[in-house]
Amino acid sequence: MAMSINKRLSWRQSVEKVMSRLVQKSPSLCTDLPLDNSDICTKLYLLRQLLKSCFGPTGRLKQVHNNIGGHVITTSSSSVLLPAISSSQSFINLIKTSILNHVSRFSDCGLFAAILCLSLIEQAKQSGLSFSVAIKLNKHLLGLCTGYLQQEDCGCKVKLDFCSSHNLITLARSIISSKPACVLTESEALHISKLAVHAFLLTVPCNRPGEVRLGKAVTVSVEGHPVLNSAVFPGLLVDAPDVSGIDESENMRSNPLRVVLFSASLAGDLSELGDGIFDVHPGVDTDLQILDRLLELVKQVVEDEVKLFVCQKVIHPVVQQHLKSRGVIVIERLGNPLMETLTQLTGAQPVATLHTTIPAKAYGEVRDLSIIHFGSRTMLQLHPPGESSICTMILCHRNETMLGELKVAFQKTEHVLRLTLREPSALLGGGCTETHLAAYVRHKSIQEVPETLSALGCSQAELLLGAGGFCRSLESVAAALEHDGGNSLMDLTHAHHWTHPADVMREHLDESLGFCGCGLMEGSPEQRRAYLNTNYPQFSPAPLSRDTAVQPRVLDSFAAKFNALQVAVETANLALDVRYLVQDIN
Amino acid sequence: MLACTIVNHRQHVGLQKLSALAGITHSSLGPNKMYKFIRDETSGESALACSCFRLLENLELTCGVGQLVYETVRAHQKVYGAGSGCLLFLAGAWSRAATECLQKGVPVARIISAMSEGMDVCLDVCRKCSVSTESLGAAPAESCAATSQGLGLNLLKKNTAEASQASCHLRGTRQAADKTLNASGRRKIKLSRHFYETEAEDASTATQPPRRKAPDVALVAAGLSHGYVGAMNLVIEASRLQSKNNPQDVSGSTFDVSKVATCVLPGLPEENSCVLQGCVVHVSDEQASVAHHLKEQHLKVALINGDLSDTYRHLGFKRLQAVQCVSDRVHFLSSSKAEEWTEKVLTLLLNLEVNLVVVSGIASEKVIQRCCRLHILVVEKANVSVLKALADATGAVPVTYATQLSNRCVGAGVKVAIWGDLAGRQTKPSTAVSVSTGERDGLVTAVLASCVPSKLQALEDQFWACAYRLHHALTDAVLLPGAGVTEMLCVHHLRERAERRHDAGRSGGGVQQTKAGRAANPYRGLVMNLMAEGLVDYISTVMVNAGGVSKVRARTAVSQRLKNHAENQAKFSQLSFAGEQEDGSLRCSDAPAAQVYDGMSVKQEAWRRALDLVLLVLQTDAEIITGVGPNHDAAEGDMMLL
Repeated sequence: MAMSINKRLSWRQSVEKVMSRLVQKSPSLCTDLPLDNSDICTKLYLLRQLLKSCFGPTGRLKQVHNNIGGHVITTSSSSVLLPAISSSQSFINLIKTSILNHVSRFSDCGLFAAILCLSLIEQAKQSGLSFSVAIKLNKHLLGLCTGYLQQEDCGCKVKLDFCSSHNLITLARSIISSKPACVLTESEALHISKLAVHAFLLTVPCNRPGEVRLGKAVTVSVEGHPVLNSAVFPGLLVDAPDVSGIDESENMRSNPLRVVLFSASLAGDLSELGDGIFDVHPGVDTDLQILDRLLELVKQVVEDEVKLFVCQKVIHPVVQQHLKSRGVIVIERLGNPLMETLTQLTGAQPVATLHTTIPAKAYGEVRDLSIIHFGSRTMLQLHPPGESSICTMILCHRNETMLGELKVAFQKTEHVLRLTLREPSALLGGGCTETHLAAYVRHKSIQEVPETLSALGCSQAELLLGAGGFCRSLESVAAALEHDGGNSLMDLTHAHHWTHPADVMREHLDESLGFCGCGLMEGSPEQRRAYLNTNYPQFSPAPLSRDTAVQPRVLDSFAAKFNALQVAVETANLALDVRYLVQDIN
Repeated sequence: MLACTIVNHRQHVGLQKLSALAGITHSSLGPNKMYKFIRDETSGESALACSCFRLLENLELTCGVGQLVYETVRAHQKVYGAGSGCLLFLAGAWSRAATECLQKGVPVARIISAMSEGMDVCLDVCRKCSVSTESLGAAPAESCAATSQGLGLNLLKKNTAEASQASCHLRGTRQAADKTLNASGRRKIKLSRHFYETEAEDASTATQPPRRKAPDVALVAAGLSHGYVGAMNLVIEASRLQSKNNPQDVSGSTFDVSKVATCVLPGLPEENSCVLQGCVVHVSDEQASVAHHLKEQHLKVALINGDLSDTYRHLGFKRLQAVQCVSDRVHFLSSSKAEEWTEKVLTLLLNLEVNLVVVSGIASEKVIQRCCRLHILVVEKANVSVLKALADATGAVPVTYATQLSNRCVGAGVKVAIWGDLAGRQTKPSTAVSVSTGERDGLVTAVLASCVPSKLQALEDQFWACAYRLHHALTDAVLLPGAGVTEMLCVHHLRERAERRHDAGRSGGGVQQTKAGRAANPYRGLVMNLMAEGLVDYISTVMVNAGGVSKVRARTAVSQRLKNHAENQAKFSQLSFAGEQEDGSLRCSDAPAAQVYDGMSVKQEAWRRALDLVLLVLQTDAEIITGVGPNHDAAEGDMMLL
């Protein structure tokens, strides 16, 4: 092992002179070969252990809070965990940022990408290959994987059939039940998965000509109610604490109601002018003047026969009173997140100023509205004038912590279901895709022809070494699903993933074999299995003969995993490629 | 960032913390709560905490588990107003159970599935042994009739009988303990939630006013008083006043806590506590004299949702930070502006002939004084729910600014009365007035008095605990047999289930479930027995708190009763009618009011939340602390810097 070298390079220093104070800049810190630095290695290892322990449906949770006793979040999802992690080592942050970017685009498989990436770095170091060769080999092996995954006859891919919701629900449930911090029972998880699919289907417009635009599923969380009370409503639900003035029978009539939507604050203050000192003449009451302007605006709105008045921010009480007395329904403090959805639903253009008359085209419409009481909350349900592609999901859970995680899980599911429209397939879950790919890569790399080797510029031995590391990394991701000391195996025909619980006696082993990770294969005594990360003989994993009666029970998003695989390998390659770290420590 | 691993050689630090936290609230379980002083060493301040929730509120819990506990308890308290002690105790007891499982090498996933199954068993027991509130008054007759009806028996009745059987056992325990431990004298506790004697029963029946229209509310309430007879009597009175005012609800089948308020009166003896119609608020002497002037008149009322002052602006209004006046003359701007505003408001109030202004925020001193001179009563700090009730009853519309007031916003038909007059004590000049619309608004206020000011908080908490218990019991329309009976039944069923091997299990079809189902959870018996042990611990701790009994003796008594019950249960299934008759006759001899009951939803929810807490902590293996600098002292503990 090369010694770690920390050099202090003295970069050209600029000496700053501020009045009489002289501050000398400290020289920048340069780390040579970061992967040989023991501190970085320890931290990489720590990060890998941390993320590995969160992986899968039986993963362990982490309590995230700040050092002054702030709010505690209990989670195991990468989208919450990774933003909380910030290291003193920029090398760690580099990897983190790359994974987070994947999560922001695909929502799912963040932990998969992170664990695979960190394993690949570890394996490359252990193999003793020069990093440049390792990078080339990783690229080549990734190409093998992606090529295989895109093949029609890929053994770990399932075509999604939109004629039946079965596989979609399975996909949704796999994501929801992979978040143990939601603390859901089987039936609760199923209920939420069904709702997720329902909500997704509601966001797909059916018969709209021309360009199809997906709608939106808005989530509203209600604490303190049982999970099974969660429900999906078509249209948009907005909080309306005071509905006493709304006459439902009058508003239920089907002719559309005209809507105006304000993004400007109607609080009657001057907050939008910014900071600075204002010179005001005595006797001039600015508040009153703004209020007059607001009332003038409202007068126009009422004359234009607007029936629903919505503002993103606060509305002055006098304005509210004025509107209500003229039979207009007022919704204030809508909040920024709902603005876009409401714009989409009503077709209104948000009005951002008080100082012009409102053009007629800025008004929108809703078909009708109704009042919904949910627990202690009162909400208005708004329906779009045309076909609805917007729905609202009310998520309930017993406490804030679990509700927070459930909301994250639901939004992920929603996103993943949308991704299926782009690529209508899914991958086998439960670690089966990983073991299957590993077996495939191992088999392919042995059969590699000399031409490929010369193109890669490496020897057969080097290729085998690199492929071994790559496969072990994939297998270690599958093995990371087990947290209670059980053993991870793969069968030597189809290369699916199996786990043996640590607590089952030898004699009961046969009956405990059960199903493989994805639930497609059933265990049988004549099956040959090998422990993961051992030297089992290479073989070509045979695709399963498709028996339509047997459906996979765990599915992963194809798009998310496909991208995660690429992100993991490319991030690992980037990390292996880093020669110097230069840090400005001023 | 710092990561701190908290799992270490099967010593789960998080579970230990949870158990330790639960330990400090042991004494707040049961009918006899012991107050605790909390002292801040640095500032020398101290607080008196009389319930589990108040205790947690006054502690500075900075660790992750502590925060989680506080968050859970707060959420529970907000909805149910009671049961936090039970929640935390069971969280502690079950976290000890989980720790023991971990030490015995049970995998986490197994503990979770077995504990969830155990919870299902307990919730099922609750459902089966619940008693409907309607049948409460008639319960003994039904029980007796059950034997004659013979086969027409339904599950509910059967389980009621079963429950009453267990309750008899528990009382037997108590009597046995009495004989052995304290043969010389009788217990001092009256109507303890858990153990009761005939004398206590008599006392409790005597406290019920005989003129009750809806006797079932009184019965339900008496069963739910859990040792706070005084507070519960106030609640009963409040419910009576409320149902009297509500023509649709003469039977008193609901009790609306949102229309109940409390008002504390320090310095008066506790006997002065009472329940009054309307909303009772403190006022100054000057305001009291206005109230005196206005009493027995039908008043016009204006409702202000906010403060009554010229500088107040509605929520969300951002003031300009830096405004300077440009002027060629010297103005006394601010004073004249305020004056102008006051003048305007007073003129408006006079024009609208308003006599009473109810403000949810505060009113400026000057406005109050000016109003007093004009015989307009200004009442401050009214609850939002009070405002709403007044608005509904009088037709007034709450406004944010007094300048918004118009004829349409003003309501009519409110009366004010001085508290001293209402309570029939004119000896002391009183500073509380009641604002009420008489029959229509349904508002009631419990006036809580105590000579010891620091006790007021406890009295208020007790009142609210009772009020919420009654409210939820009437909403649920069912009750659980109290005095530890439900817990005993749960223990019994948990143990029974623990012994059953390889049953079909739940029919859930998920992969994990099927996997687990195929290889039946080998640790289920162990985990469920430990869970039952937690409940036994709960019952015996309550017995200890209830009076005099040592922990060991309480435990032996509980296990003896359980053993007897198990034997009877065996007989029960074979000779069910014989067993029933015995129970029925036993039950008939009891005064019905003497039964102790627990709320169903509050208990179920407390258990579930307790288990949620344990499961969350059990699955947590690390704490990530953000915002820790690199020069932080990382040497201490298991901290690891990332």
